[in-house]
Parts: sequence; C-alpha cells; structure tokens
Amino acid sequence: MVEILDNIDQREMVINMGPQHPSTHGVLRLELVLDGEIIKKVTPNIGYLHRCFEKYAEQMDDYSKVIPYTDRMDYVSAINQEHGYVLAMERLLEIDVPERVEYIRVIMAELQRIASHLLGIGAFGLDLGAFTPFLYCFTEREKILDIFERTTGARLLYNYMAVGGLMKDVHPEFKTDTADFLKTFRPKIKELNDLLSYNDIFIKRTANIGVLPKQVAINYGASGPVLRGSGVQWDLRKNDPYSIYEKFDFEIPVGMGEMGTLGDCWDRYIVRVREMEQSLRIIEQALDGLPEEGDVTEAVPKRIRPKNGSIYTRSESPRGELGYYIESNNSASPYRVKARAPSFVHLGMLPAISKGSLIADLVAIVGSIDIVLGEVDR
Amino acid sequence: MLNTVKEGWTTFKSIFTGMGVTMRHLFGPSVTLQYPDEKMELPKGARAKLYVNIDDCIGCNLCARACPVNCIDIETVAATSDVDLGKTSTGNPKRFWLTRFNIDMAKCMYCDLCVYPCPTDCIYMVPEYEYSEFDRSGLVYHFSNLKPEMVAEVKEKAEKEAAEKKRQKEEMMRKKAEEKKRKELEKQKLEANKSIKEDDSSSKPENNDS
Ligand code: SF4
Ligand code: SF4
Repeated sequence: MVEILDNIDQREMVINMGPQHPSTHGVLRLELVLDGEIIKKVTPNIGYLHRCFEKYAEQMDDYSKVIPYTDRMDYVSAINQEHGYVLAMERLLEIDVPERVEYIRVIMAELQRIASHLLGIGAFGLDLGAFTPFLYCFTEREKILDIFERTTGARLLYNYMAVGGLMKDVHPEFKTDTADFLKTFRPKIKELNDLLSYNDIFIKRTANIGVLPKQVAINYGASGPVLRGSGVQWDLRKNDPYSIYEKFDFEIPVGMGEMGTLGDCWDRYIVRVREMEQSLRIIEQALDGLPEEGDVTEAVPKRIRPKNGSIYTRSESPRGELGYYIESNNSASPYRVKARAPSFVHLGMLPAISKGSLIADLVAIVGSIDIVLGEVDR
Repeated sequence: MLNTVKEGWTTFKSIFTGMGVTMRHLFGPSVTLQYPDEKMELPKGARAKLYVNIDDCIGCNLCARACPVNCIDIETVAATSDVDLGKTSTGNPKRFWLTRFNIDMAKCMYCDLCVYPCPTDCIYMVPEYEYSEFDRSGLVYHFSNLKPEMVAEVKEKAEKEAAEKKRQKEEMMRKKAEEKKRKELEKQKLEANKSIKEDDSSSKPENNDS
C-alpha cells in the first residue's frame, strides 16, 4: 500500500472528457491527466462509432454498393467521400468520365465543402460560447442542403455519384439555384467575419492557443486546413490535381499568424473561412463552364469487374487528404478497401498540441482541428 | 495605460459590430418553421419512404438484389398455365404471383439503389416522412396484396403443376430413352443382318471353289 501511495503524484488528477460531451464533436473520449487546470497529458480514446466500413465494403457483392457506406464515414461531407471513392474506381477501371459529369461533381464537391466548413466554423464558435454564429451558419448550410435535396433527393447522405458518372442528372433549376446561392452567400461571409472572426473575445480565445508548428504538422502527416493553418501551401486540388480542378483559377489560403503565432487555432479557423470564398470562385467558374447537354450516366459500366490490381487515390476533402486504397481480385466485390481518413490523423496530433494548455483551451483545440468522429472510427 | 484603453476600445468596437449584425437579423425575416403546424414542402424525388406499386411488379427480384442491406424480401410463385396475370402498365407480362413483398424501412438506408434497376419503375421513393412507430415491426411494410388463403392456394396449385410437369418430363424422358433403346436395337439388328449377308456373300466363292 505504501508503495503505491509513494508512486502517486498527488497533484495529478485523471478525468474523462466525453464520450458524451457537447464539445467533442461526436463520441470521443479524452483521458486527461491534469495538474490543476493545466493539461499534462491527453489520450484520445476512439472507436465508439466504429462500423466496420472496410469489412463491410469487402463483403458487398458489388463495387457500387460501397458508395452509400462511404457517405457514412464523414457524414458532414458525404459528396467528397463519394468523389474520392469513384475517382479511385474510375482509375482502376480506366474509365473516361464525360465532361458534364466532372463539372457537376466539382460544383457539388465545392458546395459540400462550404457546407462542411460552415458546420465546422459554427460548431467551433459554439464550443467557445458564441451561439449566434452557429445559427447563422446553419441557415446558410440549409440553403446548400436544399440544393442537394432537390438534386439528389437526400439532405445528408446522398449516394449521388456512381462509378463513371452520376446516379441522375441535376434538377432543371440547378444552375439558377446555385447562382442565387452564390449571390446571397458572399455578403454572409463578411457578416461572419464581423460577428466572429474579428470579434475580440473570439480572438482572445483562439490566438496563440494550440500552436501547431509547420514541421510538426508535416511530420504528423497533417493535411487540409490544419496543415494550411500552419503556413504550408499544400492543396491536392492544386498540387496533385484530380477531376478537372486544373481548369479553375483559385488560391490556396494559408495561415499567416495574423493574430498571434503561426499555426494557432485562429489560423486554422480563418483558413476555413477563406477557403469558402475560394470555393465560391470555383463554383462560379464551373457554372460558367458546365456543358448544357450530355448524358450523365453514359459512362457508367453495367457490370463492374476490375482486373487484378490495386490503386491508391487521394482527394482533398474539407478535412484534408482523403485516400482510398482498393485492391481487386477480378471478382465483383472488392478484395480490400482501405480509407485514409484525415480526421484520424489530426486526432492523433491532439496530444502534441494540447500539452500544457488549459482545459478550456482544449475545447478550442478540438474544435479547431474539426474532426468528424464518423470518419475517425469508420 | 494607453494600451489598455486601446484594447478596450477594439473589444468594444467588435462587440458592437457583432451586435449590429444580430440586430439586422432580428428585424429580418424569420427562417424558423414551427414544425408540426407548418411543414416544409419536400421536393419532388425526395427520398423519404419506399413505395411499391404492386400491380406493376413482375417479381423479377432485381431490386432485392441491388439492396446493400438486404431489407427487401420477395417471394414469388410461378403462375400456373390456367391463369393469366395480365400485363403491367408498361407492357411487361407478369408471370409470377407475388406471395411476399416486404420492405423493412427500419433497415433501409434510403440509398435509392433499388429504384434504378426496376424494369417497370414500380418501386420508388415518396416524400412522406411522418411514419414513426412504437414497435419496430410496424416499420416492415407489406406490399403483397394476396390474402393468406390465396397464397396457400396458388402455392398448392403451383406445386401441383410443377409436380405434373416433372412427371410429364420424366415420362417424356422415359419415352425418349425407350425410343433410343429401340432404335439402338434396330440398328444393331440391321448391322447384324448386314454382316450375316456379307458373311453369306463372302462365303459363296469359297463354296464355288470347292
Ligand atoms: S433504398 Fe437502399 S437500403 Fe433502402 S431498400 Fe432500397 S436499396 Fe435497400
Ligand atoms: S425490380 Fe421492380 S418489378 Fe422487379 S421485383 Fe423489384 S419492384 Fe418488382
């Protein structure tokens, strides 16, 4: 007994944050070792939302039946998940996708990126006590979901992309709907900046908090807004263009340490806000270039039976590099499907960047890396 | 001192800018719907609930095979030759009794994959979303319109016909086999006769020699 007591550091305390915690963005349990209010160690415990995506995919008797399951990985940006998967399949099968399909895919993916960032930003503000921006973000997100619903029939899990094409064509007023949204959304970004981004209280809570230095971010394999928040110009849409992204003119916003240190929570946050503007630019260009005519299902193969082989394809999801590794053994069902989820990688960085901060700041850090637990656990 | 005042001023300013935004929203139009009283109009093609127009279904099972979660359960019985089930509105002939067509909406993930392969477009989503149940079994929708007695009857009939067909087939097989055997025998006989004749003719010169 005496021995054990000797080994205990009596100033330390272990507490659990989550799994049912309003600011852990899903079911995540963080095991904190605290010294007073200072965090000495964080251990993320995951797996509460594990649904065997990979095993499920292997036992499907058709490659296209996997698509609805990819939706359910990151349910906040389902279109981007589907996009990654169909890209991989198309490369494996060597299918040429019609141009109209590519344009629609890009518009959809960018709309989804805005929707996802809106949710990420809104929830981040909510974590820090800013309730109003959350509602405004959701109002805007709702408009995007309406566009999605009119086209695909679903609001969250679309199953819209098919290998080689789309499940169906967009609805007749898609173009005007999207253009209307672009028009009304531009001023809302400014409003969001007024309300949240440059709000002094918000800056005080996020600047200099959870600093992720450039080198650490690269070493951990960070990607997406988290990596760009640390000042690294890396966007797969530019650096490893897929689909038709090389046709569009847009910039990669990076963190610059405007409010404090480079790579702090505010930088990661503002990258998302600026990315929404760039997405708007891409959508505008894509709407202009969208071919009027064309059958979106013309290149969809009747039966999918790839040759022996494997492929790894990555795409830029709103959270970072989303990769699919697919191995085929010349049968109707995949031999192996592996997803490289950006949220999982980013969660792994949490112990490194939250050491020595306060509990209240941990909430900000978790919010700023914008993880979706469905994708972490798969 | 100056710094504190400056900081205070920026805080003050940013708070008031934020307040201005909320103020504008306060007097703007409301976006909230008071749900049970007001309802949002679902667009055409919204995926909310599956419906099967059973009169048009030909029982081809394609929808059940397309479903990733196996929530469509179809049982068909071949129609006997004395009944004509007619045609669907799309002109496809119906050849099966649909003795069971259940969709478990509790399992369904609204992926729409079952809708596309249907040759008669009789399975589709309807924009109806208020169908919660106290019991899970209430979410299994039965689309087959055959009464249990009818199901038993058609099954019996189909079985009988199948048995009859099987019997006929066997009979035919037997007959065919017999025929074959007979032919074979005849052939053998013929060949035997031939060889005898040949024997005869070949033996004749010998006889002459002697
Ligand atoms: S919508 Fe999808 S899950 Fe539901 S019955 Fe059809 S195929 Fe199955
Ligand atoms: S695919 Fe259509 S016709 Fe065939 S069994 Fe299903 S509902 Fe009936």
